[in-house]
Amino acid sequence: MAIFKDKTVMEDLFGELWTKMINETDFGPKLREDNFSIFFVTEDPEVVMFVDANGPLFGEAAQAKTPVVTMKMSGDTVHKFWLKQINVPKALALRQIKAKGPIGKVLQLLPLLKPGFGLYPDYCKKYNLPMEL
Amino acid sequence: MDYFDLNLNLSEDDLALRKAAQAFARDVMRPVARKLDLMSAEEVVAEGSPLWPFLRQAYELGYHKVLLPEGYGGLGLSPLQINLVYEELGWGSFGLSVLLAVACFPFYCACMTNNDELIETFVQPYCDCTDGSIRGCWAITEPDHGSDVIAVGEECFSSGKMRGNTQAVLDGNEWVISGQKSAWVSGGTIATHAMLHLQLDPSRGFAGNGICILPLDRKGVSRGKPLEKIGQRDLNQGEIYFDEVRIPKGWMIAEPDYYVPLLDLILASANLCMSNWSVGLARSAFEEALDYTKQRVQGGKALIEHYSMKQRLFHLFSRVETGRAISRAAMNLNLNISPPHVEYSLVAKTQCTEMAFQNAHEAIQIFGGNGLTREYLVEKLFRDARATLIEDGNNETLTRHGGHILSETYPRPPLDF
Repeated sequence: MAIFKDKTVMEDLFGELWTKMINETDFGPKLREDNFSIFFVTEDPEVVMFVDANGPLFGEAAQAKTPVVTMKMSGDTVHKFWLKQINVPKALALRQIKAKGPIGKVLQLLPLLKPGFGLYPDYCKKYNLPMEL
Repeated sequence: MDYFDLNLNLSEDDLALRKAAQAFARDVMRPVARKLDLMSAEEVVAEGSPLWPFLRQAYELGYHKVLLPEGYGGLGLSPLQINLVYEELGWGSFGLSVLLAVACFPFYCACMTNNDELIETFVQPYCDCTDGSIRGCWAITEPDHGSDVIAVGEECFSSGKMRGNTQAVLDGNEWVISGQKSAWVSGGTIATHAMLHLQLDPSRGFAGNGICILPLDRKGVSRGKPLEKIGQRDLNQGEIYFDEVRIPKGWMIAEPDYYVPLLDLILASANLCMSNWSVGLARSAFEEALDYTKQRVQGGKALIEHYSMKQRLFHLFSRVETGRAISRAAMNLNLNISPPHVEYSLVAKTQCTEMAFQNAHEAIQIFGGNGLTREYLVEKLFRDARATLIEDGNNETLTRHGGHILSETYPRPPLDF
């Protein structure tokens, strides 16, 4: 069974997480400084989201944007990623994560996301998601 | 010499980067490469060699971190910008281009891990280095294994009979490494760090391999003599030996469970670089030939005035343009998607190296006897180009590997995101 029971849970959780990261950590200023944007495509549940320094967008609003980097993965892989339970080069090599955009930008994204790793466990508790996989 | 670019949309930044790389290749790289070419392999890396001031200058300008992301201190270039810069460096010297690129390989791999310890320990000092004192190498080739270590589609690749020359076993929280790498490791005798391919599970042949980052000042590491060879003599190469060298478990960045796809990913990037520098070399051969035909008089008129010479020069020019088109397209694809479509990198490498070799060969023919002498650059270009047909996987093996990929993936569907 998928970790995220439906699209709404995922959109709600990541809507809050990205907003907090952008407004309350150095992630937001760094996104703005680098003019960085990311488009996430997840399967199971099917969700699309666009994130830049202005905050997250979902669905059609997200699809209307042009990102610097696009990343595609399953909802379960997203969850493991934020729990730091995934080896990124391994996931890229095994096609668990697919990326489009300059490879240098993809690599640069990883350290930018650090503030989110610290915040994510709290959201797992709030949304009753398992942290031991 | 500058060239007309078929891409009319190059930005000011793109053009500035190309111009700076052109100046470095023309004023620094090529003169040093010609000096090094005339020296013995040991003299090339001896104290007082022009190699060392060259490296310092290259590092000061950041040419050792062309492939690294800006966020870690790299140049943060786009795939197109990498292509523009690497063509110029390949024009300046193929061998020195290889040396500067492999210098970053261990650190590039460390970037991929997003592991704070590896980044702080290895990547940041490398990116901060401006004196050439931190140098990586890509230690994959072995005395008993050349291109077969990348022949993923071959039956032997996964056979337990394929015993690697470099093995590692886990002892508690440390890997213990023993064995050796062959004399073909670029930068092997002067590198401070290696991106080391080694066998962890011999029962799976090379599919049981892994990759670690190894500082080469660890106890138990020793080096062979610099290799003497016919071409790319400015590129240091030599053996590295490992006698029960210990590293922390966390420095093993790839293990057998995903070694094969990661190898493909590395191969895709390395072959793109090869294709890119080959275009530079092919262009260099063309420009040397063009200049020569304008100066050399035969039968009472400049060579260029002879009808057949114009035709021959046009073939050289055509190969440069064709090579640039495929090299740039493949780089634009495979440095913009993960995982890459490896077959396009293989097309670029095999075609561009063949075209560079053909250009160097025909340039010598245009020069006549003069082309066989060390007085003219084309003689060096020919020797340098010959090595590229074997380097980073000989073209026959790469072609077979490409065919293997096609048998499993052709036709590829459009990217679905």
